[in-house]
Amino acid sequence: MSGTATLAANLPVVSTGRLGAVLRPVLWLLLALAVVEAVVVVFGIRSYYLPRPSVIASTIMATPGAYLAGLWRTFLETVLGFLAGSIFGVVMAVLFHRWQTLRELFFPLFVVSQTIPVIAFGAVVVLWFGNTLFAKAVISFYISFLPVTVNTMLGFSAVDPRQVQLMRSFGAADAQILRRLYLPAALPQLFVALKLASSLALVGAIVGEWFGDTTGLGVLLLQAMYNENVAGIWATIVVSACLGMGLYGAVSYAERRIVFWGGEQ
Amino acid sequence: MFRRRTLFAAFAAAAFGLQGLSPASAQDLVNASLRLKWLTQAQFAGFYVALEKGYYKEEGINLTINPGGPNLLTENLVATGADTFGLSGGTDSVFAARDKGLPIVCIGVAHQVTPFVFVSHKDGAVQSVADFKGKTATTWFTGANHVLSAMLSKAGTSPSDVDIQPQQVSVTPFVDKQVDIVTATRYNELYVINERVGKDNLNLFVPEDSGVSFPRDTLIVSEQTAAEKPELVTKFLRASVKGWQEAFANEAEAIDIIMKISPTLNRAQQEFMLKEVKTLMTAGKASTDGLFSIDKDAVGSANNLLAEYGVISKPVDLDAAFNAGFIESIPAEERRL
Repeated sequence: MSGTATLAANLPVVSTGRLGAVLRPVLWLLLALAVVEAVVVVFGIRSYYLPRPSVIASTIMATPGAYLAGLWRTFLETVLGFLAGSIFGVVMAVLFHRWQTLRELFFPLFVVSQTIPVIAFGAVVVLWFGNTLFAKAVISFYISFLPVTVNTMLGFSAVDPRQVQLMRSFGAADAQILRRLYLPAALPQLFVALKLASSLALVGAIVGEWFGDTTGLGVLLLQAMYNENVAGIWATIVVSACLGMGLYGAVSYAERRIVFWGGEQ
Repeated sequence: MFRRRTLFAAFAAAAFGLQGLSPASAQDLVNASLRLKWLTQAQFAGFYVALEKGYYKEEGINLTINPGGPNLLTENLVATGADTFGLSGGTDSVFAARDKGLPIVCIGVAHQVTPFVFVSHKDGAVQSVADFKGKTATTWFTGANHVLSAMLSKAGTSPSDVDIQPQQVSVTPFVDKQVDIVTATRYNELYVINERVGKDNLNLFVPEDSGVSFPRDTLIVSEQTAAEKPELVTKFLRASVKGWQEAFANEAEAIDIIMKISPTLNRAQQEFMLKEVKTLMTAGKASTDGLFSIDKDAVGSANNLLAEYGVISKPVDLDAAFNAGFIESIPAEERRL
């Protein structure tokens, strides 16, 4: 494997510098892939149980356009659903926090909504919204907003009431208290939920694509599954995993930049 | 802030631009959609060929083809008006829908004979339908199970003497000889089994040989469309028939069209699929009367079978569920290959 050669060449540099920090996980990944490849070959594992990583790679490279188009489409669906779910989740948390009655009335409904399997809900979404990108984003939205609401409410409840009273005594309005105290206090909790929601939104988008579509990672997955194209299944899993890691990474990056004080509470 | 906003705008434009691509050209075209029973593949080549070659446009229809998927019931989508036309599961799903009171009508049958067979290993214990007794079989519980039961009854075996299990996506359990009999559509699973076990190492049990017929892949419309827009239905059928004739006359090009939409498909498998679909679509009554003929005898036998096994509460009114008028308004010579 070429990975081993690069590994050897880079060994002295790895321990120092930023380049090493970037390269190290890549090298570990290459090494792990080489090991899997060797295991599959040495133990003669049949290709429909586990295809060699090189076969999976060449499957992607055979029709890169299809995988890229699928990736892009699923990315759009996921991000639309994720953004909508996050915003809706936070807004609902604020409303529930501000008006206790609202919370008592509707929060149980939120929980109930999550017990409906997405598969059952998906058929209805197709009836309502057709085979559009929007329909998939709706499913993404549907399964991603609850953790955001729950965690934001948890963050709000952790605020010291004396701090609220202090701000009140200085004449702060409700909106100011929300913006300057509650929301910043809930940010660490919120980001935990956002990381969760980003993965859920991706699952939602992929499942949404199982209700009839022409492009998307979900379509590729389904097609490969029913044609018993095992290399194709793995290729799609790899591409989905990359997308999932990318989304998670993006949220983590935003967290490090925005919640610079960390989750110290 | 400005940069973030432009980024978002570009993003939204990209997201919604994709939907704006659907042709909004000539205004005299009637918008309609066709919901398939499954994802894009050679099984539906004729419709894609007709779309690509503009046959629907020539008939004044701006057609969108919506692929299907698991857990999507074409009958529901057509009955509610979400889709104009549907290529649904088959006579089984049409009967089930009519039995439940869904206002849909079948306007053409694609696969004139049962598209699936039961398969066993040639070197195994199962050499005839009578040998199924005491063995393990997997099948789909969407109608194929009743075909199997009927075949067993006719061979003098009680269905309860066979261990019939629901069949999962993969045929690997059969290939590994964990099950004795597997159900395979001629155009899909059979290809995989042929590839992995070898065509000459298999016994095929054909439902028609036991006197059971189960035509599948039915074209449906809602009762409302059939009553209010009969000319749209006929035009759709005429263009579809033309598309299928073209697909069978020029198979390589038809596969090109499919592969362009779904490039990850296996070309050899798609070529096999189209050949098998051609056999299914030109069998029986279609060999004399042309594509999409409705064979009331075959359909009636499926009707009785389902009623006998209690899948539908009583035999469905065939004339209300199957309207052959539309397809028969196109002369048979125009529908033959």
